[in-house]
Amino acid sequence: MKRRELIQWLTATAGLRGLESLAPHDLLALGRDVHLRAATGRALDAHALQAVTVAAERIIPRTDTPGATDAGVGAFIDKMLAEWHTPDERDRFLAGLPELDVRCRARAGKNFVECAEVDQVAVLTALDNEASAARSGEHWFARLKYLTVYGYCTSEPGMRALGLFPLPWRYDGCAPITTH
Amino acid sequence: MTGGWAAKELTELGLRTLVLEAGRPIVPEQDYVEHKAPWEMPFRGLGDRRAIAARQPTQRNSVSFDELSHVFWTDDVDNPYSTPTDRPFHWFRARQVGGKSIIWSRQVYRWSDLDFEANLRDGIAVDWPIRYAEIARWYDHVERFIGVSGQAEGLAHLPDGPFLPPMDMNCVERHIRQRMQEHFGRERIMTIGRVANLTTQHNGRAPCHYCGPCQRGCITRSYFSSVNATLPAAHATGRLTLRPFSVVRGLLYDAGKNRITGVRIIDAQTKGEREYTAKIVFLCASALESARILLNSRVGNSSDQVGRNIMDHIKWGGGTGDFDGWSDRREIGERPNGIYVPRFRNVSSRHADFIRGYGFQGAAGRSGWGDALRSPGIGPAFKQRLSQLGPWSMSFWGFGEMLPRADNRATIHPTLVDRWGIPSLHIDCRWGENDLAIHRDMNVTAAELLEAAGATNIEHPNGPSTPGGTNHEMGTARMGRDPKTSVLNGWNQSWDVPNLFVTDGAAMTSSGCQNPSLTYMALTARACHHAVDLLKRHEL
Repeated sequence: MKRRELIQWLTATAGLRGLESLAPHDLLALGRDVHLRAATGRALDAHALQAVTVAAERIIPRTDTPGATDAGVGAFIDKMLAEWHTPDERDRFLAGLPELDVRCRARAGKNFVECAEVDQVAVLTALDNEASAARSGEHWFARLKYLTVYGYCTSEPGMRALGLFPLPWRYDGCAPITTH
Repeated sequence: MTGGWAAKELTELGLRTLVLEAGRPIVPEQDYVEHKAPWEMPFRGLGDRRAIAARQPTQRNSVSFDELSHVFWTDDVDNPYSTPTDRPFHWFRARQVGGKSIIWSRQVYRWSDLDFEANLRDGIAVDWPIRYAEIARWYDHVERFIGVSGQAEGLAHLPDGPFLPPMDMNCVERHIRQRMQEHFGRERIMTIGRVANLTTQHNGRAPCHYCGPCQRGCITRSYFSSVNATLPAAHATGRLTLRPFSVVRGLLYDAGKNRITGVRIIDAQTKGEREYTAKIVFLCASALESARILLNSRVGNSSDQVGRNIMDHIKWGGGTGDFDGWSDRREIGERPNGIYVPRFRNVSSRHADFIRGYGFQGAAGRSGWGDALRSPGIGPAFKQRLSQLGPWSMSFWGFGEMLPRADNRATIHPTLVDRWGIPSLHIDCRWGENDLAIHRDMNVTAAELLEAAGATNIEHPNGPSTPGGTNHEMGTARMGRDPKTSVLNGWNQSWDVPNLFVTDGAAMTSSGCQNPSLTYMALTARACHHAVDLLKRHEL
C-alpha cells in the first residue's frame, strides 16, 4: 500500500491495521501526515505555530507600532505552508523548524517559546547569520524570515504602520520625506 | 479593444450590430477589484500558485497577470495550442466582454511614414497600402474619444495628438531628461509616457486617482477599455446587441454570392450551436484568434498569407542603474505610466547592424520593504528598515520592431481541439537575425543613456523575451496592395470576400516599435466608416 493511500484509508476508517509492515521512517512520516490532516489541512501543529509566531515577533517586534503578532503573521505563514508552497518546500521548512527548540534547549535548557527573550534573540540571530551566509539552496530560516516580512508588510496593521495604507489618491513624483 | 470600437462606430453610423464575445459578461461593480487591499486576498497578491500552475501556466507569464487579474486571462487547459518543443511562443488571451482592453498597458503611440513606408524602403514583405496622411484623422478621432495624457514633442516620426495634460515625471526622471538633452540634443529624447489614463474629467469619465493596479479594472473608468467607454457608447444608441458566451465556430460562406452570410457559434455554457446572419462581418478577435477563425472557416486565404508573418515586439533588452541623491524625496501614489524614449536608430542615420529600431519605456523609483525580504537582521533595528527607501534607480526597457517573415506561421493543428471541439492553432515563430541585433543594441544604448545621466551599478535584463511575450502579436492577415500577396486591402477588407473585414492586429503589414493598440483602433474606426459608405452606395 502506498503511503498516500494508507493515509486516506486511515483518515477514513481511523483503523490501525497494516502499520506493522511499515519501516520506522515511514511510520514517522505517516504520523506527521495524518496529524496534518487532523489539523484541518494546516501545515503547523500547535507547538510549531507557537514557535513560528514567537520567532516572527522577535524578527518584527511590537514597538511604538504593531509587530508581527498584531499583524497575524503566524496564521499567514501556516496558510502559505499549507496551501501555497510545494510539499518539498514545506517539508524542508518543517524539518528545519525544530532547530529552534534544539538550540534553545542546548543554550538554556528549555524549548524555544519558554526561553527568555534574550536567548530567543540569540538563537534567531545565529540562524539569521547562517541563512545569510548560506551559499547553495535556501536555508529554512530564510523562508521564515521572508514569510514574516511579507506577511507583516501586506497586513493591515503593517501597511498602516509603514504609511502604505490608506492610499494617497494622488501622484507626487518628488515629495519631501517627512515621517517615513 | 477593436471589437468595442467596431461596435461603437457601426451603431453610431446607424447599423444594428451584434457583438459576439466568447467569454463572460463583465459587471464593473462586481468584477473590478483594483481597490482590494493585499490582506483581503487569500495569498496576499502572490496568487494561488498551485491552481495557476495547473490551469494557466502560459497566461501567468504576462506582466500584468496577478492574484486578482488572472481571471481576465483564459484557462490554458480549455484553450490549448501547440508550438515546436524548441520554439516556445507565449499566446496571451483574454475571453470576456472587453477582452484584452481590461488588462492592456494603455501605452498609445502614433505611427508615422517612417513606419508605413518601411517595407517599401527596405524591399521586404509587402508595402503598406496606406500612409500616415490617410490615418492621421482617425488617430485624432480615437484619441479624442479614449483620452490620452501626454506631452507634445513635435517629432515627425512620433506625431503628437490632442493630448490631455501629461502625468508628472519624478525627480530622477526629470534629471535624466535634462542630462539626455545635454548629451544627445534632439536625437534621443525622453518624454512622459502617452497613456490612455485620464488626467482630467473626459467624456463623463473621472481622472485617474493613482491607485496602481489597472489590470484589475477601474471603477472610475479612468482608463480606456471597451467596458469603460466604447461598449457603453454603442449601447446608448439602442442598436447594440451583445452576446457573451458565444464561441465562434466559423464564418458562414455563400460561394454563389461570394459573401459571408453570418457566423456559427457554440454557446460556451450549453455547447449548443447557433447561427447568426449579417450583411457585414468584422473580425476583431485578436490577431491569432482571427487567423484561426479564417483558417477554420476556409475563407479569405487565396493569398496563403493567413496565419503567416506573425510579429511581436522583442523586449528584455535595456538597463537599470542607481542614482545618488534625492534621498529626502519620494514618490507618493502609483503612477500607471512610465517614460518613453522614442526610436532613435535608423531615423536620421543608418545603423550598420540592423534596419528599423526600438523605443525605450521605463521609470525611476525607489525600492521599499521588498529589499528587507532577503536582508540580514532581526528586531527593532531591522523593523526600522522596513519603512526606509532604497536608492533611486532608473530602468530603460526596449521594445524592438520585429520583421515580418512568412515562415513565422500559425496553422490549424491536425488533432488538437479546444474545450468546444474547435481545432486549435500550432504556432511556429522565432526571432530573426535583425530582431536579435536590435535586442543586442538595446543594452548598448541603455548603458549610454544611463552613463550620460550619471548612473552607477548598471545592469542589463536577461533577454530576449519569448516571442508573443510582449502580447503585441500581429500580422496574421496582413493588409497590402495586391490580392496575391496580402489578405486585406487598404480598408481592412478581405480581397476575397468583400463583406468581411479584419481590423485587429492581424491586419498589420509591419510591426513598428510602438505599442500597436492605438493603430488597431484607428484602423477599425476607419474601416467601419468605409464599410458603411459601401453599404450606402449598395456596393456590399
